[in-house]
Parts: sequence; C-alpha cells; structure tokens
Amino acid sequence: MKTVLKTTVALAGLALLAGLAVVFLGLFNTSARNGHLPLVAPVLHTTFRNSVELRAPPPSEVPELDEARAALGARHYDTACKICHGAPGQPRSATIRAMVPQPPPIAEAVSDWAPNELGWIVREGVKMSGMPGWPSTRDDEVWALVAFLTRVPGMAAEDYARLTAPPPVEGPEGVTYCAGCHGAEGVSGNPHIPRLDILSADYIALSLRSYAEGERQSGIMAQAVSLVPEQALADYVAHFAASPAGEAPEAPADPGGGLVERGRALALATDTSRKVPACSACHGPSREARSDAPRLAGQYAPYLDRQLRLWRNGLRGGGPRANIMREAAARLTDEDIAALAAFYASSGDQTAQ
Amino acid sequence: MGRRYSSAAAFSMAGALAACDGPQSALRTGGVDAAQLAQLFWVMLAGAVVLWLLVNGLFLYVTRIKTRSLSRKWAEALIIGGGIVFPTIVLGALLAYGLTMMPDQRAPGDGLRVRITGEQWWWRVEYWPEGAETPVISANELRLPAGLRSEIELTSAEVIHSFWVPGLGGKTDMFPGRPTRMSLEPTEPGSYRGQCAEFCGASHALMAMQAVVMEPAAFDAWLAKEAAPASLPEGPGRDLFFREGCGACHSLRGTEAAGAVGPDLTHLGGRSSLAAGILPMTSEALARWIFDPASIKPEAHMPAYSHLSDAELASLAGWLEQLQ
Repeated sequence: MKTVLKTTVALAGLALLAGLAVVFLGLFNTSARNGHLPLVAPVLHTTFRNSVELRAPPPSEVPELDEARAALGARHYDTACKICHGAPGQPRSATIRAMVPQPPPIAEAVSDWAPNELGWIVREGVKMSGMPGWPSTRDDEVWALVAFLTRVPGMAAEDYARLTAPPPVEGPEGVTYCAGCHGAEGVSGNPHIPRLDILSADYIALSLRSYAEGERQSGIMAQAVSLVPEQALADYVAHFAASPAGEAPEAPADPGGGLVERGRALALATDTSRKVPACSACHGPSREARSDAPRLAGQYAPYLDRQLRLWRNGLRGGGPRANIMREAAARLTDEDIAALAAFYASSGDQTAQ
Repeated sequence: MGRRYSSAAAFSMAGALAACDGPQSALRTGGVDAAQLAQLFWVMLAGAVVLWLLVNGLFLYVTRIKTRSLSRKWAEALIIGGGIVFPTIVLGALLAYGLTMMPDQRAPGDGLRVRITGEQWWWRVEYWPEGAETPVISANELRLPAGLRSEIELTSAEVIHSFWVPGLGGKTDMFPGRPTRMSLEPTEPGSYRGQCAEFCGASHALMAMQAVVMEPAAFDAWLAKEAAPASLPEGPGRDLFFREGCGACHSLRGTEAAGAVGPDLTHLGGRSSLAAGILPMTSEALARWIFDPASIKPEAHMPAYSHLSDAELASLAGWLEQLQ
C-alpha cells in the first residue's frame, strides 16, 4: 500500500514538472503552419459540436426568419463576417485559409446546423478558433444574421451581390456605407432598420456616440460605428438629417383589435387610469419632437417594438436623459408596446403643429 | 432613584407633553370630530387613572394594612365581583360610549366632497363642490371650509395607505379598488398636518400633507381660483417645462401639458409645501427636488433631471413657484 502511494505521488510530481517545462521552457510548438497533431482536431471539433447542441436555445425561441431580417443580416455579414468565411461567389483569401482551424467557407459552415444552433454560435462565438462572440449584450440581433445564413446554401453569387450592393448616393464620400442599410435618403425600406430621415442631427449624433461608447447596445451598430472614421461621422449625420422627410412608408395595416386606438390613448395619455407618461410630450406627433428626442411618427413598428422592449427591460441607454425614458417605459406591458408601435408607425403623415 | 433615571424620566415626559401641541397633535383640536375623539381620550384617561388608583390602593391595603386572610365567601365575592362583574359593566359602558360616537364621525356632509387618492408617496386631491360634474384637481394639500361638514372619499392607487389629520379627526385606511369614506367638520381656521398612517413603502414616513381650514367665503374664493386654468408667466422656465416633457406626467390645466401620472401643477406655487408636506414651497427646494427626487424621497417614481444645469434648474424652479 505504501509503495503504491509513493509511486502515485512520484508520478504526479513528474507530470507536474513536465507540465511546467512545457509552459515555461517553451517546449510546445505553437506554430500554426502545420495544423494540429493527429486526433486533436477531431477531438476539438466533436467537443464544439456537442457543446453547441447542449446549449443552443430551443427552436421555439427563434423568431420568424423573414426576408427583411435576412436583408439586414446580409449587410452585417458583408461588413463583419465575410473577411473570414467568404461569401457566395467570393472566396476566402489565402491568408485566411492558412488559419488553424481554417474558417470554413460559409455555405459549408452553416450546412448542418439548425437555426437555433446557428443563433447560439453567432452570439457566443467559438473559443480557440478565432470565431468571436457577438460584440453586444443584446441577444435579439443575431436572428437577422441567422435569417441570412439559412439562405446561404445554394445562394447564387449574383443574389449575394444584389443583397449587398452599395446604393447610389449623392452625399459625402463614404456615406454609401451607412446608406447600404439605411437607404440613400435615410429611408431603409426595411422594418428592422430605423428611418433616419425623420430624425434630427442632434439625435443621430447622440445615437452614434452612444453606440460607440457602448451606452446603447447593438452589435450591428457597434460594428458599423467602429468602421467609420470619427471625423467623418458629422458629415454623415448632416447628410441624413438634411434628407427631406421621405414618403412615409406604407402605413402598416391596422392589426385590428383597436390596437392603433389603444396606442393613441397611451401615447397621448388620454386614458388617465394608466400610470404611463404621455409619450407625445417629448416625441410628438401632436407637437414637435424635442431635438434630442427621436421623432417617432412614421418610424417602423417592428423597430419601435424592439426598442421599447429594450427600454422596459432596462437594457437600453444612450444620452443624458436615458433614466427618464427607462422610468417612462417601466410599466409598459407587451400589449402596450405593440399598441404604441402600431400607433406611431401609422401616424406617419402628421406634421408637427 | 439615580440622577440618570430621573433625567431620563423627565426627558420622556417632555417628549410626551410635546405631542400635546403642534400642528399634528390629536389634542390640539380644530374640528368637531377631533374634539369628540379628544373627549373620548380624556374620559378613557380619567377612567384609567381612577382604576389604576383603585387597583393599587387595594393591593396596598391587602399587603400592608390588613394582611389577614379573607373568608372563602368574601374572597369569592371579590373575585366574581371585582374580576368579572365590575370589568364587564365598566368596559361595556365605555364601549357603548365609544360606539355611539362612530356615526357622528361619518355623518353625511353638507355638500362638498373631497376625493383623496393615496399614491406612492403623495396625495391626489379632487374637490367636488355640490352639483359639480368635473372636479377641481389639486395635490398634497387639503383645504376645507370651517363650520361645514365635508365628505372625504378615500381610495388608493397601488398599495394601502391611511388618511389621518389628527387635528381634524380620526384616521381611515385607503385601499386600492375599495373606496372608503369619512367626513370632517373643522371649526378652527388654521393649518394642520396630516401623515400617512399605514406603511406604504420606502417613503411612507415622508408622505405628509398640509390641511388648511378656511372661513367659508375665503374657501369659496380659493376654490374658484384653484379651478381656473393655469396662467403661465413667460420666461425660459416655461420653455424648459415643455422642452423637458414635464407635461408627460404633470398637468397644467388649459395647456397641452395633461399628464396624470404625477401631481397636477396648475397652481403649484399656491400650495404651502412641496413633495407631500416635506419641503417648503421655495424655488430652492423645487430645484433640489427636480435635480434628484429620490435623494429626498427614496424610490420616488419621478426620474432625476440631473442633466439640467444649475441655471436651468433655477429658472425652471423659479417659474414653477410663480404658478399661483
């Protein structure tokens, strides 16, 4: 018994020494030129697969992966992901292909994952592989990217090029990048991407600062702001703020059940039994919205719905008055939020008095 | 008895006596109802003193003066008579005396109804003069005409509160969804202090109110003035009020500011106190309050406007103070 014990202790000591030698004497070769040792790659890959399957959210948490979401996802993919995974019709560079592990071409990377699993991978990233996690604490944005990814297998090069083509813009150099999502005149035509033409320069500038400083959470906008030189931002802000308020997008059909009317009662606080401050005091439409408060009339309902939930859940900041908006939204129910979004989206043509 | 004890006794006595006067004393009565309750108190106190002397006298008598044992017959008579019959009669009489007062405390009013809603942590006050179709809305201050009985309707928005102005009458609880009522007939014009008397959250202790009793003619004049729409002085404070969206929660009657989440501010400057009886109505106090309400009243729902500059706060506060 004593001999067994002594042998175990001696072996443990030797193993510890060997480990220390590897770390401190540089015995392990970290060169990436020749890939992993045999067996290491399959072990790591199997670990990764099982980890995702264990942790992915249930499929019921995946929202509708519609075309509009996919369009936003395609734009973000083009600016953030393409560099490693290539794109339909656009191969990965030789340098990227030399990575260990090699980032798979996108069609191959997404081929055997379900949308809920893709969402988890995009949000969390993959340790020791170079795949980063989503650069924001918000967890609802990844579905735009997933909507795009589910359409990648079989996507033609021309389709990808069409989805990500820079729109023709008359404006300062570089604003094309913003216009890719937000439209040349600030009207995106996509209900997941806010209109900028109705916003003031003050508010757009405040939002960009908030994204850059992380006060306002969005992985998509954090990426976008980080790619634009700071001194160019003012020109872009001026471009969109000066855009004439465009044609209001077609007002969404009233979803029925008096939703718009309920939203109006809340927004104007005509129902005094509810402890909800009147949105209209700062945001219109009955009066001119304050310059640093966004004008909401004519904004897209899905975008408003998302933002109000973030405020209500305490996940949104941005600007010196964020605490006021957080308190204002604190008592909204999901139904209130849907009603407010429907009301503001449908009150597009009311000009300020 | 050591000096320490006697000074402690003197101190607590002084504390007890201090409660006999002041704006929130139930013994400095300013109305019929409070006077009745004070009388009940004094009768009870006198009775208690007599009983205390009787019990202790008896105790002294049997332990020091006549220590021989009683016969069984006398002992039983004493226990049954002194322990059962006597307390039943005395307590029954006191109960009857007390109960006869209850209808008086909620006698029907002479016309004016005042509906008070407990909020966290302030009072929404609506005056309904006889025949009125819409109320005159105010907050954190109760004004009543002397010599007339007014109906007090009580309710609450979220949690239980209790309405109590000790100088004017008894207290009545306020429940969400279950209206309660009482009535008050003040007689002495003057200022009294009320206090929420049911724990209602973090700032319960800071939920007070001023009650002002006025001569009927003065009251009518005041109510007519209170019913008038706001007259807004010009100035940067006015622009700030609307720019900052104060109207989302507060009303200035006659303007687009029609919020009903917080107190009506139409005649704010005319009230005798700010923040439900805990700050003076001065522009300095208003500025402090707007800068960070929760620092004065923990967990207050009004958000801090700490992004405003000192100059902006001063002009907004000065303007609000002028809303007479």
